[in-house]
Amino acid sequence: MKVLLLEDDQELATSLIGRFGDIGYGVDHFSDGCEALAAALQRDYGALVIDRMVPGLDGLSLMKELRRQARTTPAIYLTTMAGIDDRVEGLEAGGDDYLVKPFEFVELLARVRAITRRSEEAATRLVAGTLEMDLVQRTVRREGQPIELVPQEFRLLEYLMRNANRTVTRKMLLENVWGIHFDPHTNVVESHVSRLRAHLNEDFAADPIQTVRGVGYRLLVAS
Amino acid sequence: MLIVRDSQRRDLQAANDADIAMIADGYRDKGVREAVEVVRQRLAAPPIEVAGVRAPSSYLLIQGSGGERLAGNLGPIPVRTGVFDVRVATGGDRAHTVDVRGRGVLLGPGVYVFAGRDWRVIAETRSRILYAFAWVAAGAAVIAALAGWFLGSRFMQRVDTISRTCEGIIAGRLSERIALRGRGDEWDRLAGVINEMLNRIATLMENLRQVSSDVAHDLRSPLTRLRNRLEVARSESTTAAEYAAAVARALEDTDQLLAMFSALLRISQIESGTRARAFSTVSLTELAQRLFEMYRPVAEDHRQELRGDIRPDVSIRGDPELLMQMASNLVENAIRHTPSGSVIRLCVGTEAGAAIVTVSDNGGGIPSEERGKVTRRFYRASTSRSAAGHGLGLALVSAICDLHHAVLELADAAPGLIVNVRFAREQRG
Repeated sequence: MKVLLLEDDQELATSLIGRFGDIGYGVDHFSDGCEALAAALQRDYGALVIDRMVPGLDGLSLMKELRRQARTTPAIYLTTMAGIDDRVEGLEAGGDDYLVKPFEFVELLARVRAITRRSEEAATRLVAGTLEMDLVQRTVRREGQPIELVPQEFRLLEYLMRNANRTVTRKMLLENVWGIHFDPHTNVVESHVSRLRAHLNEDFAADPIQTVRGVGYRLLVAS
Repeated sequence: MLIVRDSQRRDLQAANDADIAMIADGYRDKGVREAVEVVRQRLAAPPIEVAGVRAPSSYLLIQGSGGERLAGNLGPIPVRTGVFDVRVATGGDRAHTVDVRGRGVLLGPGVYVFAGRDWRVIAETRSRILYAFAWVAAGAAVIAALAGWFLGSRFMQRVDTISRTCEGIIAGRLSERIALRGRGDEWDRLAGVINEMLNRIATLMENLRQVSSDVAHDLRSPLTRLRNRLEVARSESTTAAEYAAAVARALEDTDQLLAMFSALLRISQIESGTRARAFSTVSLTELAQRLFEMYRPVAEDHRQELRGDIRPDVSIRGDPELLMQMASNLVENAIRHTPSGSVIRLCVGTEAGAAIVTVSDNGGGIPSEERGKVTRRFYRASTSRSAAGHGLGLALVSAICDLHHAVLELADAAPGLIVNVRFAREQRG
């Protein structure tokens, strides 16, 4: 996949280009907003990673312009602007996700992967390996056997299934399952995942939810 | 001026017509001789001043059937009736002529009368009016200037008082305030408002100073700890595994520092009050249910019990995200600072029509002398120093309460702590 990176911090950009390169992503790096906009309009990128405050054209205006020209390339902001209003503003301008600096690369990668697979969301039924989820009836089956889940466990599993075989971070789960954008001081995610596991694995030997140490979780399914 | 001129024109014409009527009366009663007599009498009237020279008040002429002048102060003119202008030479000099407008009438066979008046009278009057106006305007201007100077000097005195105070503040004497005169006039109102503004700024400045010194002080210890660890790692680690462990610990320390910074940033954002614009109707009932479902497993994992007493249909105007964070902080505080086996209650209800959120526990509580201090930034109660945290949780709660005009109360639940967040009564309609 080809990623457009708009970032005027040279050191951070170099590090990101290296990390993306390690996993086989090509990166076009720009430190000027106008140049980045021209490139984004010309080439077909898999994802845009946009710093909000850059010379030339700021990231927010760039997003607005891209969306105005009907470019739907998935985009994530990478910014030091941590205010709630800043995030809302960013998403309203047409970004798909918002990551505040400082961040860990795994967090960025997980989010980039999540936004690049957003398109199939209209489905009423999700299937991941032997797991089946009916989004209308709110029922879950594993190998055909019904599994009882409370609403929060259901939403947690839904998010994991939508991102099957991809790492999702604790932060992503907090934002997408519980809608909270701050860091809780307790193990909210861990507590719920352990209950979800208990329900899912009651009659099965294998645990499909893999813990990614220090990062988050991954739902492993045979493809 | 036009109106004046029009009415004057009518007046002059009326005077001409009156003259003619008198002469006509004389003629009708007693014939030409009497008419001539009337003309002579009229012309005996004292002259008037027109354009700086003496001039007859009226110009009259009575002519006989041969066109000869019987009486009058202007030469014979061709017989013509109706209103018209006649040019009259004055002082026998052709160069000095006046335009006389008047009416010519045939009284009887061959007897012709003309009565007219000098039109310059009108222009004369006009300039007199203008002259009078100019005087009045000049007088008014002088009076206005005097009054303005008088009022202005009082105005300037007050402005000077205010600007002196402001200059003092600019020069760094932040405690200066504008003296009130106690008259309750608009100046006192203005001074009062400015003083209030200055007080508010002073509070904010003090707050800022407090925060910066807190930050400087409280960030020293984690930074010192981090530095020590790195130093020890450099001198004592020999294997890659030991280095990796040291780096992992250093990362943890850094994360904690970053969390501290973002909490501080959030508090200052909330305190700036700009979020109040994003208020919407928030269902506290729904919010608390979500929170309850979210933290019940967490409490269970801590071998505590989270109980909910959430009344339906409790809602307020507020910021949903901040309210969630506030309630979440309170529940987390209870989970983290009470021993296993404790019961934590999350209640949402109303008291006298005002919404109230209560989080209580039956744990160790906070000693009464410390309860007032726990909402300060970085303050950590003696009972909670061992627990992880940055001492900003309740400061954040307090800032969010202030933004929502809610009162934060900490009390003894005997045993345990009870925290009430009392919102103001909603003004409906």
